[in-house]
Amino acid sequence: MKLSLKDPVVITVIVAILTLVGNFVGYKIDPITAFPGMLILFLIVIVGMWITKIMPGNLPAVVYVSLLGIILTMPWFPLGEKVAELTSQVNFLALTTPILGYAGISLGKDLDSFKKNGLRIVVVAIFVFVGTYLGSAVIAHTVLKLTGQI
Amino acid sequence: MSDEKRYLKLHLIVLALVVIAELIGTKSYKLGPGTIVLLPMLYALLLGLLTGPKFLKIIDKEDMNAAEGLITVSVMLLMAKYGTNIGPTLPLIIKSGPALILQEFGNLGTILLGMPFALLLGLRREAIGATFSIAREPNLAIISDMYGLDSPEGRGVMGVYVAGTVFGSIFFGLFAGFAATALPLHPYALAMASGVGSASMMSAAVGALVEIFPNMAEEITALGAASNLATGADGVYMSIFMALPMCEWLYRKLIRDRAEEVIKG
Repeated sequence: MKLSLKDPVVITVIVAILTLVGNFVGYKIDPITAFPGMLILFLIVIVGMWITKIMPGNLPAVVYVSLLGIILTMPWFPLGEKVAELTSQVNFLALTTPILGYAGISLGKDLDSFKKNGLRIVVVAIFVFVGTYLGSAVIAHTVLKLTGQI
Repeated sequence: MSDEKRYLKLHLIVLALVVIAELIGTKSYKLGPGTIVLLPMLYALLLGLLTGPKFLKIIDKEDMNAAEGLITVSVMLLMAKYGTNIGPTLPLIIKSGPALILQEFGNLGTILLGMPFALLLGLRREAIGATFSIAREPNLAIISDMYGLDSPEGRGVMGVYVAGTVFGSIFFGLFAGFAATALPLHPYALAMASGVGSASMMSAAVGALVEIFPNMAEEITALGAASNLATGADGVYMSIFMALPMCEWLYRKLIRDRAEEVIKG
């Protein structure tokens, strides 16, 4: 079987390499130190995508991939602390840079509709921010009152 | 151009984008109660946009379509990392009280307040991506996985994401200060509300609260941080199982009501 550059596994390997480069350039963690952590993240993705295929319910892959990450680093999991330590060598922000690179390239074709709606969406962002803050504050205040804590 | 060559070209361009973006590095500027933060991912987004046919003409329409397919796969590593950030914090979250857990549902306020305004402003399916969450990285990944980032929903989440990245911390700094002085809510409740799921936004909000209630500084900081961890942990699952279904329902309802009004009116 010939591996195609379109294969999700191959793409994940390439994104992993790009991230290791960014992790080194931006956060000064050399690729050899970060490699074990990246390998763990890679395996989580591969197993997570496989679980997505065999599980019923049609849940998106992000559910299983993130859940695997949580389980492997919980303190109740025997190797949890070690896994957390190794994956901490891969900077969270370093992982976002290649994604936004691909997103920037593909956004070009939606530029007109993005320009049309962009400003309106920024205005909506303000209501979104106010909504989450007030929603949480009102519930927290009510529950604290009802349980007699304030 | 063959497909293989096309993908190779895209990956090499992104490699260049990553190196340039990370070399520039994170820049932050203090402004009022918060900070304007420019992150490498933002430069990567803008530089990626510049490669397009409207600007540098390095890539063509077919390249752009191919890049879209790459996003969905590339977010998976981020989600794995996101999981490994949450795992170690679980005991702390479980230990926190009922108020802290229940106020997590307040994060659905993004929809209740945002969706009607978004539709009034004339947005359509964009409103779903824009209002189901405060659009941090995991939420971007969810939309990319479920709708695709080049869909209207994708443009919605992208717009709020960029706005939040640049101005989010300033906004939350200002708004927390305003809420503390103008609304009859307890400082502990405001502290918990500050944990919106972004460390920089939480820090700005908590910073403003501590300024106003210096004698409760310790409690406010601890509650804000715990709530932020809780939002981090439940954010993805809340988005998929509650927020998006709620968005779809409210969207259909509001659009239908509006259509009926138009017919009657």
